[in-house]
Amino acid sequence: MSQQILLAVGWIGLALICMLLLSALSRSGAFETEARALTLLKEWLPPKQRACYERFRYFDVVGSDTGTRYRIHHGTQTNIEELSHTGQRVCKWCFAPEGNLVAGDVMLAQKIALETNERGALSVAHRTFVSMGR
Amino acid sequence: MASQIVMDRTGDTRFDNQDRAEVTKAEQRFRELTGAGFTAAVRSGLGEQRIIRSFDPTAEETLFYPRLVGG
Repeated sequence: MSQQILLAVGWIGLALICMLLLSALSRSGAFETEARALTLLKEWLPPKQRACYERFRYFDVVGSDTGTRYRIHHGTQTNIEELSHTGQRVCKWCFAPEGNLVAGDVMLAQKIALETNERGALSVAHRTFVSMGR
Repeated sequence: MASQIVMDRTGDTRFDNQDRAEVTKAEQRFRELTGAGFTAAVRSGLGEQRIIRSFDPTAEETLFYPRLVGG
């Protein structure tokens, strides 16, 4: 009987170790994907946007159709602010590429979309008005 | 070597744009991706980019991102 208990405990311990190993592998894969996406984002950012992003974790872009300035914050959801000509936040926009992409990829797609096809991007976006100040 | 970078789980592909067979394969991939709703962009200068609607074999780096949706 005690041998059976020991065997069961052994199997449970082994299963736990396997789960921990799989979890660690999965986390390291996700980390690698995020790091690769951030590297790509920085490669596509011009020096001014890159410096701003590295310092503040956001960068500004100018819309291709209206010349409006948008601030893209690090993130994947509701991370775009529309700014007034005085730099005040007017509203927030939410759009992203389909799929469960990491922040670097989402921000890069948002940048390209706003800088090349602003109206197209905003036509699918959700807009929210929020109180002033962060 | 030119590259096609796809924002999904399939990863990136590099191809020799001097090799006709590889260029044909890259063009096929371009058609499949844009047909599936991906947008193709190339860098045209320091931090500038443009959207392309047809395959450009001379582009050093073409980036594909999935269709945009509201969050």
